[in-house]
Amino acid sequence: MFFKLVSRNSKRSRKENGLFFASLLISIVAFYMIQSLSHQDVMIFLAKMESDAVSKLLMMIPLFYGLTLIILFFLIYFASKFQMERRRHEFGVYLMMGMRRSRLFLMLLAEDFRSSVTALLIGLPIAVLLSELVSLITARLVGLGIVGHRFSISLTAILMTAAGFLFIKLTAVLILSGKIARQEIGTLLVEAPEVGKKEKPQVVYVAALITGVLLLAAAYGMAISGIAWSSVPRMGMTLLMGLSGTLLFFFGLRSVMGFFAGHMKKGKELQTFTFRQLEEHVIYRSNTLAISSLLILAALCCFAAGVAMVQTHSGSEQHTLDYTFTDHSAEEVSRTLSEYNLESQFSELFDIKIGFVRTEENDYDNSFQMESVMQALRDMPKSRGRDTLLNNLGYEESPYMISLSGYNQILALAKKPAIELKESQATVYIDPEFAIYDMDQLLNQIMKRNPEVQIRGEKYHLTNEVQTLSIVTDRSITLSFALIVPDEVFEDLTGGEYSSYVNGVLNPDKIKGKSLLNAISETNQKLDRTGLVYESYLQNMGRQLFYVVAASYITIYLAIIFLIIANTVIGVQFLTSQQKTGKRYQTLIQLGATYQTVCDSAGRQIRWYFGIPTVVAVISSIVGVRALFSGLLSPGTQGSIPTMMLISVAMILLLGVVEYIYIKAVKKASNRNILKLMVPEREE
Amino acid sequence: MQNILEIESLRKYYGKNNSQTKALDGITFQVMQGEFLGIMGSSGSGKSTLLNCIATVIKPTGGRIVMQGEEIQHLKGDKLAQYRGQMIGYLFQNFELLDNLTGRENILLPLSLHRVPEAESNQRLEKLASYLEVVDVLDKFPSQMSGGQKQRIAAARALILDPALILADEPTGALDSKNAKALMEKMTGLNREQNATILMVTHDSNAASYCKRILFIQDGVIFHELRRDVPRESQQAFYERILKVMAQLGGGSANVL
Repeated sequence: MFFKLVSRNSKRSRKENGLFFASLLISIVAFYMIQSLSHQDVMIFLAKMESDAVSKLLMMIPLFYGLTLIILFFLIYFASKFQMERRRHEFGVYLMMGMRRSRLFLMLLAEDFRSSVTALLIGLPIAVLLSELVSLITARLVGLGIVGHRFSISLTAILMTAAGFLFIKLTAVLILSGKIARQEIGTLLVEAPEVGKKEKPQVVYVAALITGVLLLAAAYGMAISGIAWSSVPRMGMTLLMGLSGTLLFFFGLRSVMGFFAGHMKKGKELQTFTFRQLEEHVIYRSNTLAISSLLILAALCCFAAGVAMVQTHSGSEQHTLDYTFTDHSAEEVSRTLSEYNLESQFSELFDIKIGFVRTEENDYDNSFQMESVMQALRDMPKSRGRDTLLNNLGYEESPYMISLSGYNQILALAKKPAIELKESQATVYIDPEFAIYDMDQLLNQIMKRNPEVQIRGEKYHLTNEVQTLSIVTDRSITLSFALIVPDEVFEDLTGGEYSSYVNGVLNPDKIKGKSLLNAISETNQKLDRTGLVYESYLQNMGRQLFYVVAASYITIYLAIIFLIIANTVIGVQFLTSQQKTGKRYQTLIQLGATYQTVCDSAGRQIRWYFGIPTVVAVISSIVGVRALFSGLLSPGTQGSIPTMMLISVAMILLLGVVEYIYIKAVKKASNRNILKLMVPEREE
Repeated sequence: MQNILEIESLRKYYGKNNSQTKALDGITFQVMQGEFLGIMGSSGSGKSTLLNCIATVIKPTGGRIVMQGEEIQHLKGDKLAQYRGQMIGYLFQNFELLDNLTGRENILLPLSLHRVPEAESNQRLEKLASYLEVVDVLDKFPSQMSGGQKQRIAAARALILDPALILADEPTGALDSKNAKALMEKMTGLNREQNATILMVTHDSNAASYCKRILFIQDGVIFHELRRDVPRESQQAFYERILKVMAQLGGGSANVL
């Protein structure tokens, strides 16, 4: 009998709280996915190249896991609390009929354990399948190919997911059922009315609202201006101000609600009722609403940060070169390649020479001076780019020289026109990593005037636009400032002592039908036998890929968890309080309200109830995301305002979809509740 | 006088075959315009079922309920809602005020349900509120009112749309004797001065003594009927007659008088 009761009850709570159950399923899936990250094809591949970064990321996963466990615990605790509250009367009846308290306690535990196990049994297979799917899709998207894919189930991930999930669930229920089982029968049997909190004078609420808005404004100000990022205490203060500001704002919101309730035009049916219901929710649940709003904000920020990081690390540089051989001349490389029958792998092999200016005394210093450029910079209006340039170029007393022919070949590969230089002309080169804050644009303005510079005491004129194509495939060398000069001049200036980097491009015929990633991987294996020292574009890609995958996985994971929790709390809370105040709906029906009218009113309440915290979160996110961008991202990658706007719009659209789904689900459940409240004999 | 409500061999059975309960087993009566009719009976006699059938809360098994010439079992959708809201006003034992709405908002709730412009009814609201002596609590929430005030607010809500028939289900059930007396006096006043038609279910003989006519129900059938001989018979004398019939109830018709 006991087990029958347990199974019936647990089945019933699953049915009545479908929303909560669905959220549990999603969190199980999310748990497993993050735990099984190391089993993803992309990660297995990356672990070969970026093993340090990958293991660092994998080390961070338990941290995320722990963090989400804590947050999820609160969700489960609150949602279960609402459920238990609703069943108080039932518990009272059990006790009245002579059930021992310990037995009631056990029963509640067993019920919960049963539904947890059901959730795991449904959730884990979905999680495993979904994670395989994601693995395949990402592998396909990044061009890894799926041929080598092996179906994998991460046992540790399953165990960790199950253990973590059961642990928080049992802890929450232990606390709650302990509380329930200790209560007196009388208090359980009597339907506990919403504790009428003492109303404070209106001034208090208005003051709270104003203080909340002011605190929020201050927090936003600190975040955007960058003060918040200058030190940990300041960041803490900003967060504290934001948090208390939000709490106070929602606490004070009732003053506005009260005002609206009194001064509203009566349009739709039941408008007053709808508004009063909403007011009640806002009054009794202001803290939950505030927390939900903050969670939505956190989700938005996570998502934005993820998108920004992905954007930063994904191919802003133009890809022209596949290989760079260092420490060899072009002849050496092609000779070695022929020996191994590999010359057909490459369609292009050319060297690019770079070196310092030699002076008579073999002194590298003071070989260069460009006072006219510096003066032109100083005359420019103050900007971050100008200041950085002034600072960087102030030390450029012996810049690298680059031979024109090599660079022109890179230009040709990038399908750009070659540059032409006369004997006394030079062109400025900056590595793409240094071309930030529009520094190249600033320099271009100066270049238009062909400023005069001195190299080894001779006059040169700078011409052409500043060049920013990478001269090697990855990071063999990065030049913050260099000059491209004609080949003869280069020989002369460097005195024949220079380094040479041999760049290669894979033969397009050889990589037909393969992804670049695979083609390079294969070629690497062949090249490893030759003893040539080289770097390939794979490193570059791998690094980008790692950041993209890591950033998107973690931020999407966190965003999903935050969104689920916020929405589930709002939804479950609404539905529970709707069931608690079911009598009101019954009265409305007896007064002649149709099913449709009551459902419409409930629908409006739901839209507002979800809408208020979401809108506050969206407004905060506009500021929060900006602050995050300015604080987290390196200056060169902060992106333009249009891109940021685009990200924000995408984010808000996505949020809109999620909210829509939740509102739809809660409405459906609410309509079902209302239908139950209508006397069944009188179905319309 | 004109019939407002006609009940014809109304039946309501619960359950099937052997375990069937006959809550109403062929009840027939009429309610006249301006009447104050009481329905009495012990608990389980079927009086609440009768009221619920008239209020369309439950569907009868057989028989007819005709309200101003229209058979209400056939009402659907908007017409049904309109019937519930405008043809009848319902006064509940537990008031059933919405506790998150002020007194005024509670009274105006039926207007918002039936899209009646408020301006039209404001005058009526003022009149009802001052008659029922609830002007002071109009802007208070139910939790700030006494039981009597709550029930009078509920009465104002039942009356705001000027329904053809007021159904009162044990309206004094949750009130102390003083408040019960005050409410009954107000209801009698409404009946006498405004010609309001009231159908009241009660098992409080005291409250019943305010009625003009009383039907006694037992085991789903009408078992007795009392008429107050106005104005010759005093309320006290009528009350004593009611008590006598009540004493017979429960013992079956063998014991009657």
